[in-house]
Amino acid sequence: MSKISIRRRTLPGFGLSMGYSIVYLSLIVLIPIALLFIKATSLSFSDFWQTLTDDRVTASFQLTFLASFAAALVNAVFGTLIAWVLVRYSFSGKRLIDALVDLPFALPTAVAGIALTSIYAPNGWIGRFFEPLGIKIAFTQLGIIMALIFIGLPFVVRSVQPVLQDLDIQYEEAASTLGANSVQIFIKIIFPAIFPALLTGFALAFARALGEYGSVVFISGNMPMKTEIVPLLIITKLEQYDYAGAAAIATVMLLLSFVLLFLINFWQWKSAKKHKAV
Amino acid sequence: MSISINSVSKAFGLYPAVNNVSLTIPKGDFAALLGPSGSGKTTLLRLIAGLENPNQGRILFNGIDYTDKSVKERKVGFVFQQYALFKHMTIFENVAFGLKVRPRKSRPSKQQIHEKVFELLKLVQLENTAARYPAQLSGGQRQRIALARALAVEPEVLLLDEPFGALDAKVRQELRLWLRELHQKLNITTVFVTHDQEEALEMADTIVVMNHGQIEQIGSPEKVYNDPANSFVYSFLGRVNEFRGDSIPQELRLNEETAGYIRPHEIVLSRTALDTSSPSEVIHVHTVGSAVRVELKRLDTDDILEAELSTEKYRQIGPLIKGEMLYADFSRMVIFDDDRPNQAKVSNKIVTAL
Repeated sequence: MSKISIRRRTLPGFGLSMGYSIVYLSLIVLIPIALLFIKATSLSFSDFWQTLTDDRVTASFQLTFLASFAAALVNAVFGTLIAWVLVRYSFSGKRLIDALVDLPFALPTAVAGIALTSIYAPNGWIGRFFEPLGIKIAFTQLGIIMALIFIGLPFVVRSVQPVLQDLDIQYEEAASTLGANSVQIFIKIIFPAIFPALLTGFALAFARALGEYGSVVFISGNMPMKTEIVPLLIITKLEQYDYAGAAAIATVMLLLSFVLLFLINFWQWKSAKKHKAV
Repeated sequence: MSISINSVSKAFGLYPAVNNVSLTIPKGDFAALLGPSGSGKTTLLRLIAGLENPNQGRILFNGIDYTDKSVKERKVGFVFQQYALFKHMTIFENVAFGLKVRPRKSRPSKQQIHEKVFELLKLVQLENTAARYPAQLSGGQRQRIALARALAVEPEVLLLDEPFGALDAKVRQELRLWLRELHQKLNITTVFVTHDQEEALEMADTIVVMNHGQIEQIGSPEKVYNDPANSFVYSFLGRVNEFRGDSIPQELRLNEETAGYIRPHEIVLSRTALDTSSPSEVIHVHTVGSAVRVELKRLDTDDILEAELSTEKYRQIGPLIKGEMLYADFSRMVIFDDDRPNQAKVSNKIVTAL
């Protein structure tokens, strides 16, 4: 079962690089997470259950996952669009826009949150146009989604862009000689080719959104049961010195995220496998 | 469907890929666009398909102007050099693609598509691959599937870009014969691009020899091989020895630039001197199938050249060894007066008669 076969490779150093990887991952990821689990187990099961089934906690879980999912979905669509524009067309200022895509990575998220809040607040630059229509953006769940879209934007663009770049034009040409129109070419030829990359981008954007704290706390208004996200709830527990409770919520958050990401990656792996040359 | 190309030009930036080309390919013809790389043959094929738009000139199918029609409207079958099979689709889905993308009114039923696809797979002798993916097929099989896919839309013109370029020699040979037979069976006007003169001579009814974006000669394989229009065509089709300067008999030399050509098998070798022959030294001898190639050094001019003998003839002369002296006769040397090779200019030919 656990037979590891190491083929002879041209480059030596499997043992060293593998060992280093494991040590590195342990120090950075595994040990901190293990400590989190240990902390969570300091609660009795009934306490643990009570912490998690608290209405405020379940509401925040629901909000975090749904808002993250919605934001990742929006990013999947518009990120693909941006990648398409950047790859397929040449226009002046293209490099500038290309650089702009990475900005959400570099900007401190708190700054992004404050900027978004001031723009989308009922008296903000954009918010004021929505106010008369009865649409409130800042301090609502919509605002949370806005912030999550912002911070997740680069992931889909950067995953899809190289794949689109490498997509040989001859497949599109072949489809057109066979009588396909441009919509059919996109749906049947281009989309399946970029789909695995799109899923990767989606998973990254989704994961990023799940853990986002900095930008959301400014725009959400943090009303319990309405606009309170899980990371905020964890911070709140910590501030009340309820370390075990915070660890319990974090553990469940971690497990749920892991399962979801694993599923998305599995799907991505399966769809990518189909395209691989034997 | 007949294809007429009227003074078509296409430039990429400042580079003229196809330069004022006119050509008529009759219905049912099997034509080869033959030329070295960069001669514009692939661009011409893509212009016919509508994958490129000409800068000037018209392209007519059956006398109707198709220049401004889209690829989709042209109903051409195009087989790409790298086949361009859709990797995420099975072989069945690949072949069915052209039928499935038809507008709903003209789309055949599922049953009809199924029948048509298997009919095509049977035609290319690959029925058992329907459920596989392109990556699971060999190069030759992919080539045939690409052809089946192109034929699914019942094209009136079949265009093939270097159809056998990526295959090994044996598979290539098989597929050549097979494609020739298929053309006879279906009788679709077919145009293929190749840089391999042997392939063109063996398969095509008509050979269009191209160089530098222009057509050098159009004709049957016999015509272009035996009666080449200029030195480019002569030297591109088949092996050739080229002579310059003093190697050419004085009376044939038109100017300093004159070049003379002779094919290896046209050099007559003998052990005794004739009045027109030159003494030559054997440098290397090797057998290629039914022929023997002899590399020679002409002693009077120091030219290195290649002669070819049939094995029968070789037996008559007797075994040759390195360093041996022979007499080579070049009286079948051909002189062209255009004499700057690769110059796109049709020239008059002067055949030597010594």
